[in-house]
Amino acid sequence: MGILKVDRLAVLLASAALATAPLLFDNTYAIGVLTVALCFGMWSASWDFMSGLTGRENFGHSLFIGAGAYTAGFLNVQFGLSPWWSLAAAPVCAVLFSLVIGIPTLRLKGPYFALAMLSGAAVMQNLTIIFSKYTGGQDGLNGLDPMLDSPLAYYYLVLIFLIVSTIILKVVANSTWGTILRAIRGDEASCQACGINVNFYKIASLMISAAFAGLGGALYAHYQLQVGPDLFAIVLSINIIIMVYVGGLGSIYGPVGGAILLNVLTESLRAFSEYRLWVYTLVLIFILFFMPQGLIAPLWRRIRSFVA
Amino acid sequence: MVQILVYGAVISAIYAMLAVGFTLIFGVARILNLAHGSFYALGAYGVYTFTAVAHLPLWLASVLAVLFVAVFGMAMERVLVRPLRRSMLAVLLITLAVALMVEQVLLLVFGSEARNVPSMVNATYHFAGVDISAQRLLALLGGILILTGLWLFMQRTRLGSAILAISQDAEAAQYMGIPSDRIYSIVMGLSAGIAAAAGVLVAPFQTVIPGMGLLPLVKAFAIVVVGGLGSIPGSIVGALLLGYTETIIAFKISIEWSQIVSVAAVLITLILRPAGFFGKRAAF
Repeated sequence: MGILKVDRLAVLLASAALATAPLLFDNTYAIGVLTVALCFGMWSASWDFMSGLTGRENFGHSLFIGAGAYTAGFLNVQFGLSPWWSLAAAPVCAVLFSLVIGIPTLRLKGPYFALAMLSGAAVMQNLTIIFSKYTGGQDGLNGLDPMLDSPLAYYYLVLIFLIVSTIILKVVANSTWGTILRAIRGDEASCQACGINVNFYKIASLMISAAFAGLGGALYAHYQLQVGPDLFAIVLSINIIIMVYVGGLGSIYGPVGGAILLNVLTESLRAFSEYRLWVYTLVLIFILFFMPQGLIAPLWRRIRSFVA
Repeated sequence: MVQILVYGAVISAIYAMLAVGFTLIFGVARILNLAHGSFYALGAYGVYTFTAVAHLPLWLASVLAVLFVAVFGMAMERVLVRPLRRSMLAVLLITLAVALMVEQVLLLVFGSEARNVPSMVNATYHFAGVDISAQRLLALLGGILILTGLWLFMQRTRLGSAILAISQDAEAAQYMGIPSDRIYSIVMGLSAGIAAAAGVLVAPFQTVIPGMGLLPLVKAFAIVVVGGLGSIPGSIVGALLLGYTETIIAFKISIEWSQIVSVAAVLITLILRPAGFFGKRAAF
């Protein structure tokens, strides 16, 4: 079998496995856990598209997630619009945030982008608490309408969004566009010398990354039916980075697997779920020291070379 | 007016202590230390533990807390950061992991409720119609003393010259026989100690909670960007600028809007003058 065929087969198998997973457990709690895992999958894949490919690490992905989720919350709770509108509005709002941070900082070398994203997210979290008149403060906005009545149907909706967006991101990452992004990671100066508008590519890929993160945020908001300041938390960004590292940097599909694996793992070891952050930090330290390539993407490459 | 002047000075002194350590370890070792806020939190919790649990006198508790955090910083540099130094991203992530661990440990040991640390001096001064607690003045004085001490140390001692040499050209300094690894360790200890001293000084009038390190990290970053990454005078000027802007906005407009100052300052500086006001190296 050719490599392309194996890949397609794997996408089908993985989608089928995710589609049957909730049927095996058949209780709302398990379906909820899986829905959250899918949202994390979307966030990890979108983080990886920008940061994994170009090597400009983003330490505040939760800024886009929170922006998307709060957009959904405002439109639905304050203005009473149908939840479906937020699917269109949330990515737009997240992209606006990405422009505010991206345009000044992505032109620069050094750690400015990483730190500006970190502070942007931290300050937004504070602002949501301070302007509690509009945002509900620590409690956030409550009482969002569900998009679909049955949790199982909503799980499938999120699954479709996840599969479609992962395929889109992966196809773009494999195209000339993705090659250019990888070249930027390798040597920015040479790319510029070849006449590539480096800044345009970096900012545009941050916009794409933000759009999918915002979409994931809106989907998450309409599952939780509540949005709160925790969606801007640094911890959320860090969890996503850890999931990407477990999956394998720069592979897009790996981070999705890493997100689902870590979410399901910490949830199934119920005794540990209180120490979730501990588990994640220890996993991060272990990966950094012993498996810098990650777990899922290298594993899949090995299986593929065995099959194909 | 007097209130703005004094409060701004106190805040600036605290910010300067945080930013100087942050910029020092970056300028010398190229380590962007996201655990810098944890040193501040550990300093505050250290003085709390040594006074409330071990019942030591306050001055001894303060000294012990600062020493403890300095040793903690050196251990972190030696065990976790040094093996990963070849990759900037790995260093960022490992310091972030340390920051998360510290917050979790504090949460586990002390719980999420705020802790009270007794004031070192209880008097309240009254002049020009405003009350100013002596603890705030002590924080201001402590900040000035520590920063002057640091300046003298860097300018007048052999070790200080070695640190400056490494920050100018690490490779050349190594050829001259300066042990760069040991210097990195010392600078990390120094930077951690100064951050802890800031934590110790503000502990009596700040809420001491496990997550208290995050905002100071954001502020330190903003100051360092405004002043120029790696420049010590720049970070002191940046601290004054940010400290007074925040205080003025907090008094004249509202305390809410003062939160935005740091991020706005970062974005404006990066657009107008990316190297910062005192940065030698262009950031492009």
